[in-house]
Amino acid sequence: MANGDTSAQQLLESIRSIDTQTLITMFLVFSIAYILGKIVTILLSKLSDKLSQSGRVKVKLIIPVVKFVIYIVAFYYIFRQIFIIFGTELFLLTGILGASIGFGVKDLFADFVGGIVITFEKPYQIGDKIALGNYYGEVTDIGLRATKLVTPDDNAVTVPNNLIFNESVASGNSGASEMMVVIDLYIAGESDVEAAMRILREAVVSSKYVYISKKRPVTLLHKALPFYTRLRAKAYVNDLRDEFKFESDVHTRTWIEFQKNGIRPPQLHILNVPPVEEISE
Amino acid sequence: MRDEIGEIQASIADYEVGKKLNIAIIAGPLSGKTTLLGEIERINLSRATGITFSEIVRDKKEISLPDDTKRIVLLDNCHFLYRKKTGGFDIFYEFLDMISTQERLFITTWNLYSWRYLNEVFGLEKYFPVQVVIPDFEKENLRFFILKRYGKEEIKFYNDKEAKEEPFIYVAKYPLELSSLGRKILIPVPKINIPYLKNRLLNKKETQTIEDRVFEKIYLESKGNPGVARRLWELGLDYPRIKPENIGQFSSNIELEYEEAFVLSLILSYQTLKKAEISDMIGSTLKVDETIFRLLTQELIFKDEAGFFRVRPEALHSVVAYMKKLRLVW
Repeated sequence: MANGDTSAQQLLESIRSIDTQTLITMFLVFSIAYILGKIVTILLSKLSDKLSQSGRVKVKLIIPVVKFVIYIVAFYYIFRQIFIIFGTELFLLTGILGASIGFGVKDLFADFVGGIVITFEKPYQIGDKIALGNYYGEVTDIGLRATKLVTPDDNAVTVPNNLIFNESVASGNSGASEMMVVIDLYIAGESDVEAAMRILREAVVSSKYVYISKKRPVTLLHKALPFYTRLRAKAYVNDLRDEFKFESDVHTRTWIEFQKNGIRPPQLHILNVPPVEEISE
Repeated sequence: MRDEIGEIQASIADYEVGKKLNIAIIAGPLSGKTTLLGEIERINLSRATGITFSEIVRDKKEISLPDDTKRIVLLDNCHFLYRKKTGGFDIFYEFLDMISTQERLFITTWNLYSWRYLNEVFGLEKYFPVQVVIPDFEKENLRFFILKRYGKEEIKFYNDKEAKEEPFIYVAKYPLELSSLGRKILIPVPKINIPYLKNRLLNKKETQTIEDRVFEKIYLESKGNPGVARRLWELGLDYPRIKPENIGQFSSNIELEYEEAFVLSLILSYQTLKKAEISDMIGSTLKVDETIFRLLTQELIFKDEAGFFRVRPEALHSVVAYMKKLRLVW
């Protein structure tokens, strides 16, 4: 008991001995690390935009690593200062910190560990299109605490890094600049499927957004369902940021050609939907 | 091109003994594929029929062969057999059907970028097992190619008056195409003037060092492309005089919107396109004027006497680098 009191007193003495200069230095180190991290992110993002798509992905890959290195150096400096101040009482301080992490800031700590895991295990990278939890979008930043996504509706979403421990992550492109896009079209059951498939294929391969190679082929699938026919095209968009433009481009040009060739969408009467006049009556 | 002619003639010889392997001659713009095909036609005049497509083919009749067609068919500019649009491949399907069902041997020429695209989409190499890619010219070949139009000593190579003596070391700017940056950059590299040194050490009068430097600059800038080399020569020539300083080095800093870049990729892949053909493929007449204007003002394309738009030869390597950066050509 007496020993405990002595340790606590020594700890309090150590805390009292911290001068303003040291606190300011620690705060400055952390601030510089934060600002430096931001500057590196901005500069590398600007550089990546000037490069080709594959170059862009490679440069964006190193952004979180550089940021983490900066933060680790900063934390190392801060912890060294703490060790110098507390010396042998550090273990007691660590115990107090451990308790506070366990009770108060465990989520923050989990986010930080999640950030390290994301940086080095790379379940996703900056520039990837991912589905994480309930969110889908392009990863724009991987920070110490959270990952920032931009959804297709241009909403910026901040997702805590600890989600990767209990949510599955689906990455559409896994670091590549191209990404598979699945395009479904539905046509009337009695349509000429062969002609429709040919038109859809031509619309895909002639799109300005498509990327085709031996490893990235265009695949066409056809499924006859009771009241309509589903055509599915699986193709790679050249730049994942053009995912929806690609889909729209293929849809538009396919339907224009379908109309020229008498290929119609499924008719509503087959779904027992009464004509509009009957509904109004 | 002796090796390429030999390879094609070997395939023709195989065909004569019953082994039919269609041939594709593949090259980038201005690389001399039509010249090569012309030479093949001249060698095989008695047994070959030549057909040239000079613009996009819209009528199936244009690719149907007349009855008096000989056993070997030479088809120049086969990249004009498709339109990159929905419903634009009907002629191309007919063409594939024709070459796979007929007994004749087909020797065809293709733009490199159209070939790569069509090969990825339709597996074109299966129809053309023999592929002859025209290599870049060597420096001496370029010299011969350019000077063959002139008489002996008709062209006067000279240096600036203040630089009568050839420098011992001079700076040469090496063009480097970086597809990752999407542009061509010029890197200054110090070079030792070896011919000059030889002349000094052997107490000879300097002979062809200025001419060498002219063709070295042309060779470096054109990357061995004869069409580009000729254009650089014409731009630098002040008939009958030419000096190394007049051989230009071109690096375009291209900044285009994606739709404009797509149109440029079409012009690069077809080599020559009319405005109506571009409108047809991009499906918009409104955007075409604006796009063409932008490409003209950036000096990336020009309009020839026949009304076709082409990539400027001096901008060709910059355009290719930019297109590869965007992956609009593969």
